[in-house]
Amino acid sequence: MGGSLQIQPAHLGKASIQVKAESNRDALKLLVEADKNAGIIALTGVDLGAQIGLLYHIRTNGAVITLKSEVPKESPRIPTITDIIPGALFHEREAADLFGVVFEGHPNPARIVLPEDWSENLYPLRKDAKIDNATVKCESSKSKPEPVPPQSDGSLVNIIIGPQHPALLEPEKFSVKVNGEIVKQVEPRIGYVHRGVEKAAEQRTYLQDVYLVERICGICNSCHATCFVEAVEKILGTQVPPRAKYIRTIILELNRLHSHLLLLGHAGLEIGYETLFQYMWRDREPIMDVTELLTGNRVISSAIAVGGVRRDIRESDVPKIKAVLADLKKKMALYRQLYTNERTLKMRTQNVGTLSKEDAVKLCVVGPVARGSGVNIDVRKEEPYEAYGEIPFKLITYNTGDSWARFMVRIDEIDESISIIDYALDHLPAGPFRVRAPRVVAAGEAVNRVEAPRGELFYYVKSNGTAYPERVKVRTPTYANLPAFLKTAEGGNIADVPANFVSLDPCFSCTDR
Amino acid sequence: MVLDLWFIFRVLVFPGFTFLLSLTMFCDWVERKIEARMQNRVGPKFTGPAGILQPFADFLKLLTKEDIVPRGAKSTVFKLAPIVAFSIVVFALSFLPIDGAAVISNSSFAGDLIVIMALLTIANFLLFLSGWASANPYGTIGAARVLTQFLGYDIPLFLLALAPAFLAGSLSIAAIAASQYLPFVLLAPWAFVLFIVALQAELEKDPFDIPHAESEVVGGLETEYCGRKLAFLHLTRDVQIVFGAALVVELFLGGPYGPVFFGFPAFWYSLWFVLKLLAVIIISEYLTCLFARLRIDQVLSANWKMLLPLSVLSLALTIALVTWVYPLVV
Repeated sequence: MGGSLQIQPAHLGKASIQVKAESNRDALKLLVEADKNAGIIALTGVDLGAQIGLLYHIRTNGAVITLKSEVPKESPRIPTITDIIPGALFHEREAADLFGVVFEGHPNPARIVLPEDWSENLYPLRKDAKIDNATVKCESSKSKPEPVPPQSDGSLVNIIIGPQHPALLEPEKFSVKVNGEIVKQVEPRIGYVHRGVEKAAEQRTYLQDVYLVERICGICNSCHATCFVEAVEKILGTQVPPRAKYIRTIILELNRLHSHLLLLGHAGLEIGYETLFQYMWRDREPIMDVTELLTGNRVISSAIAVGGVRRDIRESDVPKIKAVLADLKKKMALYRQLYTNERTLKMRTQNVGTLSKEDAVKLCVVGPVARGSGVNIDVRKEEPYEAYGEIPFKLITYNTGDSWARFMVRIDEIDESISIIDYALDHLPAGPFRVRAPRVVAAGEAVNRVEAPRGELFYYVKSNGTAYPERVKVRTPTYANLPAFLKTAEGGNIADVPANFVSLDPCFSCTDR
Repeated sequence: MVLDLWFIFRVLVFPGFTFLLSLTMFCDWVERKIEARMQNRVGPKFTGPAGILQPFADFLKLLTKEDIVPRGAKSTVFKLAPIVAFSIVVFALSFLPIDGAAVISNSSFAGDLIVIMALLTIANFLLFLSGWASANPYGTIGAARVLTQFLGYDIPLFLLALAPAFLAGSLSIAAIAASQYLPFVLLAPWAFVLFIVALQAELEKDPFDIPHAESEVVGGLETEYCGRKLAFLHLTRDVQIVFGAALVVELFLGGPYGPVFFGFPAFWYSLWFVLKLLAVIIISEYLTCLFARLRIDQVLSANWKMLLPLSVLSLALTIALVTWVYPLVV
């Protein structure tokens, strides 16, 4: 490639490769050829002054490789990579929205996070974007939505699910084209709860940002906080004391427990199994109580801090936590039996929304969705963070790839989480639970991954030597899993859409950030 | 004149309208309480002793709410369907012997079983119309699902209702109830089980509550309804459930008849009727809590491939037994 490729090892904590914009595609092809399981994690745009930096974070052989390209700010154009990695579809649209980069050849360059009536040529994540009421012209009269009757396109009927719909607890819109009862195409429109957290993070200190990112998602809040804090610690070079690592692990696994219980119960509601829903949510309560016992908060735990955790575990609490977990373990036997034996439940979830292993790799899905399709990826195993390297646990995979497999992965993971917490409580190292970390972070950048309940959570943090970060990029698991829903819904029954969709454990609060 | 007053009392108070309405509210409370306890919840608790007045309070609340008719809706059908459906089910109920005789004492005639089954179908059809007239895609889909489902399950339900008729040798519901010295559930248990399943589908309860699948069709045919009309839609549904359970009582559980210990037989008959009714409702609610909702195509294939052949078989078996076996035994 004649000097267009420079490798900077040990940068970003992982390998990072500087590529010229025109040879970007060639470099990607090389990576994909080298590892057929390679996929894109995220596409980060960074404002570099006269240039816009585009960071393609590629997952290959269990590690992150970042391809860096730069495009001039006046005419930011770069060829699309969606034909090489179909999973990049949404990532490119988001970069186009927020940085104004034109991806030549993108099959559907429509807006994805910004509203349709957002001002032209105003790209919010560029540093020179002045965003106030005077510059943002939401020309509501121009874009006033005309009443859309169910459109008939030949034999196709367009059913619109959302933005307000009882099956969606959060507002997003899906246009479902159906032929009779069969779904032909699903077109998503996300961004209804886009709160601009990435921009807001740049205007707050690192200390404030911990609380900000926690609020991206109420369910996996500790995962967001940990992922951000670890990235900052990487730039700072802070060594977190071992006790803090164990406590963080416990809090993260509690997060996973209550998230999985919530989802498995909610799935019951979606397939009309209200009893299952009521029981699972009842058994989720003690986990919330344990979280409160540990951190002082039931939901947004605010337990993670740069350099450690905010509170130590009291020795007197350990038996209480263990009792709750032992109880949950006993109750999980019933739910496992239900999910494996109950006929009506299996009729609604088996062979529904089947995602083949090849498609799962191609669409770069993560977490239980990928593991349900037999792809064995789990950040806890690939790059053990916190105490996961020292704690034995199994990586759960199922091979059928349907909704049922995705639920079963979560049921098995609950058991694994319980044993992880048990082990961590038994092997809690002595020592401090926190070290002081400076509030001003030297210039640098870091990527970090955490296995959230819904899958791999990705953060990119760039610092500029002040107390405020230069850029924070968040790639949430649902964002990566959404293409899988679009793929699996096609050809399925319209009545299967809720059961299929809920098996991804969608979180739009995460997706929109 | 005295006779007329007695007649009016029977129609309006006992065992007529007031009694049936209170019974419906009571059964609704029982249903909600049982479902809640099975799901480890508390259920209605605060209105009246143990929340027994909650269904009544809900009904009153809906009556006071604003009443809206959507602009695109077929106004007449939209307004009338809930009321007419409710009246029809109550009318059908008045054919059933409740305190030993039907509401209108001498209303029973040969073949009234067919009439009340037809009335049940008409009530379902009116519910379909109410959703269809509401000019809402969810209402329309929900209504279409009601239609698809009850067209499928009406036939097996009817075939299964014929088993007791053959056992009793009459199509009159009063005669069927009166002839059960031995409840028919013991003589034809297979028909009883299948009848409960078909009824579960006919009354749109889990695992067959597809028209109410809120994750797919929001409120189904009720989506556009509010205020008084919604109150009557809910009431229709509750009366339908009571009606279905009452049908099981009359056809399989020996009707209102049972031991009379002292005093008026009418009192004991009403008591037995209500107790048997509650037993059926508990069974039905137990099934509701036990299963997930099936998909519409799964429901239909379960109906045409399993329930319909089974009900034909059940009918054939009953006829064979009635002709050759039971005369020897009984």
